[in-house]
Amino acid sequence: MPTDAVNVSNLTKIFRGHIGRAPFVAVKDLSLTVKEGEVYGLIGPNGSGKSTTMKVVLGLLAPTQGATSIFGCDSREVESRQAVGFLPENPYFYKHLTGEETLQFYGRLCGLKGAALKDRTREMLVLTDLENAANRRVAGYSKGMLQRLGLAQALIHDPRLVVLDEPTAGVDPAGSRKIRDLILSFKERGLTVLVTSHLLEQMQEVCDRVGIMAHGVMVREGRLDELIAVENQTELVLENATPAMLEKLRALVAQEGASISHIGQPRTTLERLFLEATEEKPAADKKSA
Amino acid sequence: MINSAQPSPRGNGLSRIWTLASATLTQLLRMKVLAFIGVFCVIAVAFGFAFPVQNAEQQLNLLKGGSFGALQLFSMVIAIVSTAILLPRDLEDRTLYTILSKPVPRHQYLLGKYLGVMTLIGIGLALMDGIFSGILYLRENMVFASEMASLKANRMDGPEEVAALEALVQTHGLTWSVHAGVLAVFLKAAVIAAMALMISCFSSSTLYTIVISFFLVIIGHGQELAREFFFQPHLSVTGQKIAALVLSILVPDLGMFDITDNIIAGQSVPIEALGWILGTAAMYVSAYLVVAHLLFVEKEL
Repeated sequence: MPTDAVNVSNLTKIFRGHIGRAPFVAVKDLSLTVKEGEVYGLIGPNGSGKSTTMKVVLGLLAPTQGATSIFGCDSREVESRQAVGFLPENPYFYKHLTGEETLQFYGRLCGLKGAALKDRTREMLVLTDLENAANRRVAGYSKGMLQRLGLAQALIHDPRLVVLDEPTAGVDPAGSRKIRDLILSFKERGLTVLVTSHLLEQMQEVCDRVGIMAHGVMVREGRLDELIAVENQTELVLENATPAMLEKLRALVAQEGASISHIGQPRTTLERLFLEATEEKPAADKKSA
Repeated sequence: MINSAQPSPRGNGLSRIWTLASATLTQLLRMKVLAFIGVFCVIAVAFGFAFPVQNAEQQLNLLKGGSFGALQLFSMVIAIVSTAILLPRDLEDRTLYTILSKPVPRHQYLLGKYLGVMTLIGIGLALMDGIFSGILYLRENMVFASEMASLKANRMDGPEEVAALEALVQTHGLTWSVHAGVLAVFLKAAVIAAMALMISCFSSSTLYTIVISFFLVIIGHGQELAREFFFQPHLSVTGQKIAALVLSILVPDLGMFDITDNIIAGQSVPIEALGWILGTAAMYVSAYLVVAHLLFVEKEL
């Protein structure tokens, strides 16, 4: 039986209150599993306990009750972190280092050295499209570049699990798309991904399973396609349908006792429209080309 | 089940500590902390050359006093301020999350940070020791030459007078005890930095760490008084006595590192005294780092 990539079992996390303040229950009796190779999305409003759960999984916080493990290894053990890469929300790095030095720093922390470290650093810079900025100080990086550098450092030691906390927060649509494509490439390479995001549309594109948290508890969990499917409805998209054919369809539907909820043209997403518009060459360029 | 092809987290402890230390050192160097060395040069030259000519002993002692004062100030300020900013800054920037989510045990993170600060102080003091020794040597030769000229002018340059002058200048000039004094300054800074690191593990802000550390440094210099008060035989157990005991245990006795006054006065430092200072510093540093680890390992990030 394969080991779960992440196992959270009856996790409760209570933060002690400061003087005169009551303790705060951030997560209450939470259980979830992330299977190896899947992309699991943890979604919920601010303060729902997503980041706290992630921090406990990563061993940054101790559970008040319950346990968490990564590939069967207790999260409180340092060894568990050998298999995990983490991208925190809005990451910052040592401003005095260049992108390449930053990756080498994190690589050395993971025990890489010599040619292996150099090769892996180069590989990560290429993967995250940062080769041209490798020798620039991190202080001059844009938000999107910092986020991609964060992804590169999370992957530097070739982990089996990647934990991403709001990976596209504050990034423009093109940068956000790049990050989404990277997550999809992780999935193709068999990496397990645990991700939180407020951008539900993006989560829908990349996640196999999702858990919805509110007030520290899991309110819904399951395979994404099952969760969002409307059980008593069927979607049918036609191409080049004539008005006469649509009339026939309407008649047939009515004859069978069913009803049509909506007929119209499918719409593209605003994100896709934005990307098409901004990636298009200006007319003058097209002519000269 | 951990991928066996990946490096073992246990086998790379020293390399990991050094990685963190060198990053900390670079971080502090880029903050232009060592600019203080330029200030030190001005202080040393001022104390060596800018004051009215006095007798040989006073001239050399003034130079040593001013330079040791500057060394103490540099090492204490850097030990407290540099250590106080490290943890809160990493936490604020979330760099701490990315570091500790790697296979980095928390004690290695603390040791790396501490070692980075101490390397910076060590480099700074070594450079300043070199500058100080150079200026002192130069001044020693100048003082000897001018005193000899004075003796000759007064026809008092007999062998006994010259030998006495040589002995005086050598005693108050550059001796190995000057370097021992710099080592004592370094060891005191090591204790202060370890104490500041421990405070920053439970403190809520950089300012709090800096204020409390400076407060304890001041108390630490008068710790001997607290200890003497505690051991007074006629006193019964009172609140004051308990407070004195607590202070004696919690606050390092920084007064015992102050051997510079003796060196300025021209006394030499016995090797046993230096060994005692070294052992005491090692004890304090170990104790503070162990407590810092115990606090940091429980810290909610």
